[in-house]
Amino acid sequence: MERKNFLKSLLLGALTTPVLLTACDKNEDTVTPSEGTTDSGSGTVTNPGTSSSSCTVAPTETEGPFPTKAPASYVRSDITNGRSGYKMTAKITIGNTNNNCAGLANAIVDIWHCDAEGNYSEYGGSGMQSTNYQSVHFLRGRQVTDANGLVTFTSIFPGWYNGRATHIHVHIYNANGTSLKVTQIAFPEGSGTAVAAVNGYNKGLSGYTYNSRDNVFSDDSAGVQIATVTGNTTDGFELAIKLNVAA
Amino acid sequence: MAHRIITLCYRKVIDSSSVKPWDTLVFEDSYTEFKMQAQLYNQEKKYRTFAELLQHAPGAEKLHFLVSAAVIGYLQQLNEIIPDILNNLGKHFLRFNQFQFEIINSDIQDKTKHQVAFNFYSEPLVWHDTIQNYLLVSEKKAGEEEILTNLFQLQPYLNIHSLQTEA
Repeated sequence: MERKNFLKSLLLGALTTPVLLTACDKNEDTVTPSEGTTDSGSGTVTNPGTSSSSCTVAPTETEGPFPTKAPASYVRSDITNGRSGYKMTAKITIGNTNNNCAGLANAIVDIWHCDAEGNYSEYGGSGMQSTNYQSVHFLRGRQVTDANGLVTFTSIFPGWYNGRATHIHVHIYNANGTSLKVTQIAFPEGSGTAVAAVNGYNKGLSGYTYNSRDNVFSDDSAGVQIATVTGNTTDGFELAIKLNVAA
Repeated sequence: MAHRIITLCYRKVIDSSSVKPWDTLVFEDSYTEFKMQAQLYNQEKKYRTFAELLQHAPGAEKLHFLVSAAVIGYLQQLNEIIPDILNNLGKHFLRFNQFQFEIINSDIQDKTKHQVAFNFYSEPLVWHDTIQNYLLVSEKKAGEEEILTNLFQLQPYLNIHSLQTEA
């Protein structure tokens, strides 16, 4: 499939070359239609981008570096990216309601949540510029379920922000990337819970929205969206939940 | 003498007609990621194009950011050198740390409509002179008598992004 597309794109490239030739002829320049390889000759035309044809010297450098296939930066188990907070391991099992809720293998699971201050990774401001592309997508991750339907992420215990209870977003896809479910994981509340122990990090819990008043979780009277969370602030927390989807 | 400090922005457009290996990897992976992430804003499957999502689905503008994760790995492979833009010797000379990835157009059912762009923002340069349609620039460094310069041509998709005058 990939190869086919690649070949197709080569073909498309070949088809568009005459257009570039025409454009360049108008400028009466020597034409070197060689985007794919480094041209060491005395070509005078290069095509920055895709469809522009400007009249500058052609690349005259040793070829390389050669690009290699790279996965999305989401694909990792540890999604912390240097964000500070209490360590949290999240074990999420995906079950298939079309198969007695047995573990669903090879499902793609995306999760994302806010940091200790309640902020998500995203483009900020109007400039939308990012300096550090190592950690742009902090606290966002993607894993593929094992034979038991399990994925494991290492992260930090989420903070909270106005209007929402503590939560983790989850998007579950089948192996082909087709969406099966978009949902959220809620946390147990009350004395002795992780939410109480973390106490909203530096913010405290004044003004906190509890599950019963949360616009996403308030209808979950059976508590199926609430994870089991164990551990403490010294050793870290472990979250476990099973989410069933129709696959 | 006053120094003019500029940064350049090169907007590299990638679409189905792109043929370079790096470009086609970016094209393929950003399209796959777009199709996955777009479902978050299209749970009723009402929309087909990126433009429709932007217009009707709240939050869909985050797709620029969300899809960018698919191409970060390729960005790292550039080793902070802006591609395609050459000095008059035919060598790459612009360095970048800042970038912005954008989806220009896309369609979940028609891959040929998929078009994305990287905006590469150069490190600050001193703009010494303009010779015909060439700019003479050097990297911004302090206190050297002889400075090494680059001569490059203004060209499509290359913009002077910012200008600052230093005494």
